[in-house]
Amino acid sequence: MLVPVFTLKLNHRINPRMVTVGKYDGVHPCLTAATQAGKVFIHNPHSRGVRLSSHRLNPSSQDTDVSLLNINQAVSCLTAGVLNPQHNYDSLIVGTQTNLLAYDVHNNADIFYREVSDGANAVVLGKLGDISTPLAIIGGNCALQGFNYEGNDIFWTVTGDNVRSLVLCDFNGDGKNELLVGSEDFDIRVFKEDEILAEMTETETVTALCHMHGSRFGYALANGTVGVYDRTARYWRIKSKNHAVSIHAFDLNSDGVCELITGWSNGKIDARSDRTGEVIFKDNFASSVAGIVEGDYRMDGQSQLICTSVEGEVRGYLPASKEMRGNLLDASVEQDLLRELSQKKQNLLLELKNYDENAKVGTGSLSETDGQTGIIPANTQLQTALSVCLGSETQSPNVELSISTCNDTIIRAVLIFAEGIFEGESHVVHPSVQNLSGCIRVPIIPPKDIPVDLHIKAFIGGKNSTQFHVFELTRQLPRFSMYALCTDKSLSVPKSKVTFLINERVQRVIMWLNQNFLLTEDIGSPDVSFTSLRGGGMLCIKMKPNGEITINTDDMDLAGDLIQSLASFLGIDELQVEADFPVYFEEIRRILIKVDEYHSVHQKLTAQMADHSNLIRNMLVQAEDARLMADMKVMKKRYSELYDLNKDLINGYRIRANNHTELLNCLRAVNQAIQRAGRLRVGKPKNQVITACRDAIKNNNANALFKIMRAGTASSSL
Amino acid sequence: MVLDMDPLFLAWSYFRRRKFQTCSELCSEILEKSPYDQAAWSLKTRALTEIVYVDEVDVDQEGIAEMMLDDHAIAQVARPGTSLKLPGTSQGGGPSPAVRPVTHAGRPITGFVRPSTQSGRPGTMEQAIKTPRTAHTARPVSSASGRYVRLGTASMLTSPDGPFINLSRLNLAKYAQKPNLSKALFEYIFHHENDVKNALELAALSTEHAQFKDWWWKVQLGKCYYRLGLLREAEKQFKSALKQQDMVDTFLFLTKVYIRLDQPLAALNLLKQGLDVFPREVTLLTGIARIYEEMNNITSATEYYKEVLKQDNTHVEAIACIGSNHFYTDQPEIALRFYRRLLQMGVYNCQLYNNLGLCCFYAQQYDMTLSSFERALSLAANDEEVADVWYNLGHVAIGIGDSNLAYQCFKLALANNNDHAEAYNNLAVLELRKGRIEQVRFFSGYLYGILCMFRLN
Repeated sequence: MLVPVFTLKLNHRINPRMVTVGKYDGVHPCLTAATQAGKVFIHNPHSRGVRLSSHRLNPSSQDTDVSLLNINQAVSCLTAGVLNPQHNYDSLIVGTQTNLLAYDVHNNADIFYREVSDGANAVVLGKLGDISTPLAIIGGNCALQGFNYEGNDIFWTVTGDNVRSLVLCDFNGDGKNELLVGSEDFDIRVFKEDEILAEMTETETVTALCHMHGSRFGYALANGTVGVYDRTARYWRIKSKNHAVSIHAFDLNSDGVCELITGWSNGKIDARSDRTGEVIFKDNFASSVAGIVEGDYRMDGQSQLICTSVEGEVRGYLPASKEMRGNLLDASVEQDLLRELSQKKQNLLLELKNYDENAKVGTGSLSETDGQTGIIPANTQLQTALSVCLGSETQSPNVELSISTCNDTIIRAVLIFAEGIFEGESHVVHPSVQNLSGCIRVPIIPPKDIPVDLHIKAFIGGKNSTQFHVFELTRQLPRFSMYALCTDKSLSVPKSKVTFLINERVQRVIMWLNQNFLLTEDIGSPDVSFTSLRGGGMLCIKMKPNGEITINTDDMDLAGDLIQSLASFLGIDELQVEADFPVYFEEIRRILIKVDEYHSVHQKLTAQMADHSNLIRNMLVQAEDARLMADMKVMKKRYSELYDLNKDLINGYRIRANNHTELLNCLRAVNQAIQRAGRLRVGKPKNQVITACRDAIKNNNANALFKIMRAGTASSSL
Repeated sequence: MVLDMDPLFLAWSYFRRRKFQTCSELCSEILEKSPYDQAAWSLKTRALTEIVYVDEVDVDQEGIAEMMLDDHAIAQVARPGTSLKLPGTSQGGGPSPAVRPVTHAGRPITGFVRPSTQSGRPGTMEQAIKTPRTAHTARPVSSASGRYVRLGTASMLTSPDGPFINLSRLNLAKYAQKPNLSKALFEYIFHHENDVKNALELAALSTEHAQFKDWWWKVQLGKCYYRLGLLREAEKQFKSALKQQDMVDTFLFLTKVYIRLDQPLAALNLLKQGLDVFPREVTLLTGIARIYEEMNNITSATEYYKEVLKQDNTHVEAIACIGSNHFYTDQPEIALRFYRRLLQMGVYNCQLYNNLGLCCFYAQQYDMTLSSFERALSLAANDEEVADVWYNLGHVAIGIGDSNLAYQCFKLALANNNDHAEAYNNLAVLELRKGRIEQVRFFSGYLYGILCMFRLN
C-alpha cells in the first residue's frame, strides 16, 4: 500500500489544470498554481526563516511559505520552465484570455508581456522542431503562437478550432519535438513546426494531453474518456462518468515504465499501466483534483508525484520501493478480485446450464417448444445494407442502415457501437413486441465527414423465444456518406470551385469515388454531381482527360476534406490548388472591416473606462475623507455620486464585453478562413499559404490575403 | 515713419524669447483679423502650452487613490532586494538604519527632495488619508487629480472669454490628418487642458494616419495611457516607440512604468540598455542612482551619482546625495566639501546651511557651526524649518555638554513645531537626567501621542 510522503493544506483554492512546479532560483522547486481573483500563488517551503520581516510589511499573515502574485485578470493557463537558455532558472508563464506574461519570479521582473488577441487556453514550454531557443507556445482561438524569451512570436500557425490542450513530444522518433494539439473539434493534430504530420479524430473535446515516453502519449476527453496512443494507433481507452481533470506520466511502481496518472473531477486519483490501462494504484481526495505534477519537493534527490485538489490539499507520493513489487493496492483489492472471479464462475455455470437444457430440447420434441427456446435455422444470415435516404416530411435526410435476416426469424434488438456518431457512442434499437420483424432500419446522421466503423450486434431468434442468438458484424461507413448522387443535370452548378492538376489515371479517381461515397452502383465516369444531405448544397466533381480536376461546391471545408482524402488515396505529397469562393471571400472581407471597427471602438471604450475609474477612485477617497471628518452630508453626496458613476461603469463594461466577444468571433472566423485555405492544399504549398496569409493579416492587406487564398502563393504579380 | 514688424514674426520672436503671454496676446490679435490663420493658431497653442509646461518625466507622484486602490505590482511580497515596496532591507552594505535616519516609510533620508521619495505604502485607507494631514506631505488624492488639475485650472482663468479651443466642438479626425497642426494641438490638450481622454483620441487617430510609423505619437500615446493608469498599454506603446527610435525620454518613461509595476530590476535593466545606446547619459545615470537609493543600496547609488558628476559636475542632486552619504558614513569633512560645492552652485537655503552647520560641528570646526545655524535660521521659510534648526542646535549643545542650552533649544523647536517627536524624546531624556520623573512622563506622553498619530511601531 502506497501512502503519501507528505501532505499539505495550502488554504488557497486552486483552479483546475493550472498547477505547475518551477525552480525559480534554479535550485528549489516551488509549487505554483492559479487561484481565485486573478492571482497566482507560489508555495516555497525552502526559504523558511531566511526571509527578513521588515518592521512594517508582514508577509502574508498565517503561512509565510505562500506568496501571491497579482495578475489582475482571470488566469487561463500557466506553466514554468527554462525560457531563456542563458539562464539556468525557470521562468513563470501565465496566460489569460487577452495577454501572455513571462515573469522572472526570482528577480521580480517581467521577461515579456504580450497582448494575444486570440487568447491563451493552453500553454506549453519547450523546444519545438529545429527552432534553437525554447518557446512558450500558447493555443487560443484557432491559433497557435510560440514566443521566445525576447517576446518575439517565432512560431505561428492556425488550427481547426479552439485549442484546449498542448504537449510537446517526439512523435515520429526523429529526435526533435513535435507539437500535439487537442482542440474542440475533437481532433488531435501533430505539428512538425508548421506542417501537420498526423490527425487523429476523437469523440469529444480533447481536454488534456501528456507525453508518456517515446512516441506514446496519453489523452483525456471532456466526456470522461482517458486513453493512450502510440503514434496514431490507440493502445487502450477507458470511459468514466467523471471527468479527467489532469493526466500525468509518472513511474509509480518503479518498473522503469511510466504509468498514466489520472486525476478525476470526483477527487479520485488512479495510476494505470500504459500497456493495458489496468489500475495499479488509486487514492481519493475530498474534493476534485486540480492538477498533477512531479518534482523533487523534499530536495532529497528523488522526484515525487504531487497531486493537488481544488481545495488546496497537496499530497506527494514517492515511487514504490522494490520490495512492494508493484503491488500498490491494499489487500482488500485482492479480495475484490476473488469475489469478481467467483461471480464470473457463477455466470459461466448458469450459461452452461442453459446450453445443456437447449441441447436436451433440441434432441427431444421440437414442435412444442419451438417458440420458447432460441433455436434458429442454421443457415440464418444477417444482411446489412447502407443507403442514402433523401428524407421525407417527417424525417430529415440521412444515411439508412438496414439490417435484415434472410428467413422468418426476427430481430429483437440491435446494438450499434460507433465512435462520434451517436451520443454516448452506442445506439440501441429495441422495437416493441408488436412491431417485431426480420428487418430493422436505423437512420444515421454522421456529424462530420469521417470514415466510421459500425460495430453491430443483433439479437436474433424465433417469434416468441426468450433466448436469442447474438450476431456480431462490422460495417464501414464511407467517408462522404452524406452525399446523394444527383442525376438531375438541370440543377445549377455552384459558382465556387477549386481546380487542380494531378498526374493520375482516371480509373484511380473513379476508384476513390466508389470507395468514399455511398453509391448504389459503381459509377463509370469521373463527372458526377451530388447533393448534400446536410444543407442540400450541390457538389460536382469533374475530371478532364489531361488530369485537371474541378470540384464545385460552396462549402470550403468540404472541398478541403475532398482534397485531403483524394491526396492521401493517391499518395500525393504536394498539391497546388486554385480556389475561388466568391461568396465566402466576400464574407471574410466584411469580417475584416468589422475587426478594424471593433479595434477602434475598443480603444475608445478602454480610455473611457480608465477615465471613469480614475474618477471613482477620487470620489472614494473624498468620501472616506468626509467620513473621517464626520461630515456625513458630504460623504452621502459623494457616495451617491459614486453609485451613479458605478452604474455607468457597469453599463460601459457590458458594451465593452459585447464588443470583445464580437471581436473574438471575427478573429476566429479569420483564423478559420486561413486554416480552410490551407486545407485546400497539400504538403509544402499548404504551409506557404498559411504563412503568406499570416503576413498579409499582419500588414493589414486584405487584397493580398484573398489573392493568396485564391492562387495559393503570394505571387510576384501583386 | 516707423515700419511695423510683421505681427506674426514679432509673435515668433516673443515666443523664442519665452515671453509667452505677450506672444499669445499678439496671436489673438492676428486671429481676430484672420480667424483661419493656421500659423498664428498653432503658435498660440504652443505659447499657451509652454506657459504651463512641466516636464512629464519628473512630475509623478502616486496619489492616495492609486496607492490604496490599485495593485499593479505582480508580486505581493517579493524577494528582498527586488522590490521598492520593501524598504529596510539593506543590500549594499550601507550604514544601518540605526545610524542613518529613515523617513516614515523606512527609506534612508536622501540628500535631495523629489517626488516619490516619500513613497511607501500605509496599511489602511484611513491611515493613508490621515497621514498627509500630519506629516506635511501634501500627497494628492490621485495622480490624475493632483498637480495636473491645479495646473490646468490655473490656466483657464487667464482667458476671460472662455477657453481658446473648445475641445468638445473640435473635429479630432480632421486635425489628425494635418501633422503640422496635430502635434501642437496634442500638447495643448495634454498639458494645458489636461484632458487626457481627448488627447488619447487625437494621438490614436494621428498614429493611425502616420501608419504607425511615427515614434513621437507612440510616446504620446504611452504618456496618455500612463496618466490613465493603463500601465500595460503604456508599456506596449513605449516599447514599440523604442523599436523605431531610441530616445532618452522614452527610456525614462518606460522606467516609470516599471517602477509603478514595482519591478526595480526590470527598470534598472532597461536603463542600462539605454546607457548602451546613449553612453554616459546623465539622466539615465541619475535614474539608475535613484532606483538604487530607493532600494536602499546606497553603495551602488553613490557609484552612479559619482558617474553623473564625471559627466556633469554641476549636478545638484548628485552632489547633495553624495554629500549626505558621506555625512552618514562618518566623513563630515568630505561631506562639507560637497556642501560647499553646492553653495558655489548657487543653492542658498535653510536646509543647506543646516547641513553645513552639522558637518562643521562633527568635523570639529566649532567656529563655523553657530554662524551656519544662524544663517539657516535667517533663511528659514517656515516654522517647521525653524524647528529643525533649533533641534539641530540642541544636538550641538548636548555635544558640547551645555544641557541648559540644549533644553532651551528643544523647547524652541517645540514652540515652532509642536509635533516634533524627536524633540519631545530628547527633552524627556534631559528631564530624566535631571531626575524630574513627572516631566518625563509628560513628554513621553506627548511622544506617544505623536507616534500614535503616525502609526509608527
